[in-house]
Formats: sequence, structure tokens, C-alpha cells
Amino acid sequence: MSDGRPHKVKDIFVEGAIPASFIAENIAKHATRTDIGAHEIFLGQVRADVVPSVQDGRVQAIEFTAYREMALERMTIIREEAFTKWPAMTCLHVHHSLGCIKAGELCFMVFASAPHRIQAREAVAWVVDRIKAELPIFGREILSDASHVWKTNS
Amino acid sequence: MNVLLFGSIAEKAGVALLQVEATSLSALRVELIKRIPGLEHMRYAIAVDRKVMIGERPLTGSEEIAVLPPFAGG
Repeated sequence: MSDGRPHKVKDIFVEGAIPASFIAENIAKHATRTDIGAHEIFLGQVRADVVPSVQDGRVQAIEFTAYREMALERMTIIREEAFTKWPAMTCLHVHHSLGCIKAGELCFMVFASAPHRIQAREAVAWVVDRIKAELPIFGREILSDASHVWKTNS
Repeated sequence: MNVLLFGSIAEKAGVALLQVEATSLSALRVELIKRIPGLEHMRYAIAVDRKVMIGERPLTGSEEIAVLPPFAGG
């Protein structure tokens, strides 16, 4: 499970949606780490938002793009800070989709494991917020009438 | 210098890469507004060597410059 430790640049991006089976496999891989007592997982799912500025506008899918080099550099810093803040954390796995992800599909996963629940829970909430605020990832929301608007994190 | 464009800004410009001559960040901003229609009405940040920069600084031309619309990850 050394791949979950900090200090090296890991590619968080995956092409297409994150399959639920991938998350189950990720959980299963941790079975050998019997020092872990808690997993905390955040999953982001594409929501079929209503877009009031477009008549009958509803999000069908989001097409994600990213400034990869900067995103991975930022992610490495966030990861290192997370391991400094929660040194007991055993591992931290982050994946974000690129390309076209349909409403109802998963596009984002933050998975932390630790001996006890508090570290894992706090770390996941903190890492999710940092990623949303700092990673240069862009989302083109494709609407029911094939027009689009650009998603902006609040 | 090469300027990378992303998301809604690349869409406005019609390209993902611009060639711009500028010796400072403020000169670059002026040049970008001339070259990208509607940029002055958009929210964006400029990254120099993959770090978001605010205020003024000189540019040598060897930096990696990117114009970033609001982030939407997660």
C-alpha cells in the first residue's frame, strides 16, 4: 500500500466515469493492512441540475478538462499537507474523471484510511474542499437542448 | 511566449494556445484583453509556472503561462 503515501506526483485523472466496481476493488485492496481501523470515502456524482437561464435546461452530462501539470502539482502539495495534519493516516487515494460524465455517474473519489475514524473523516472533508478550491479542473455542463454552460464551484 | 488557455476562455478565444509578447504580467493582461473577445467581463486567474499570480511581476518569456477560468472540479 506504499502507493498511497506522499512525496511523489501521482496521476489522479481517469478518462471517463469512475465505476462503482473500482471503488469496491479499492476497498478490497486494503484488507491486508490490518493496522487500518477506518475508511472514509467521498464520492462526487454528476447532478442533473436545472439551469434556469436556459428554457427546460437540465444538465445531462459534464465534460471535464484540466490543466494537468498544475493540478497534479497542487494535488501533491495538498497530499503532503494532509499527511502532515493527520500523520496517523495510513493512505489517501484521489481520482477525478476527465471527459464526458453523464448525470448519475461518479466523477470524483477521495478515499482515506487510518487506524481510527476521526483522522480519516477529517482528512477527507479537508482534502475534498481543497481540491474543489485549488485544482484547475474545468466543467462544461451539457444541457438537454445540446447547449452548454460552464460549471463554477461556489 | 506561449499562453495556455482553458475551459470557457479557450472557447472564447477559439484556440487553446496563444503566442503573446509581454515583459510583465500587467502587459500580458492588456494583450490578452485585446486578443480574447469578452475576456474583460470574465472571471479568470493567470498562472505563472503553475502558480496563480496576483499583482505585478516581470516576465522573461521562458515562463509557462496559463489563463484559468473558475475551477469546477469535484
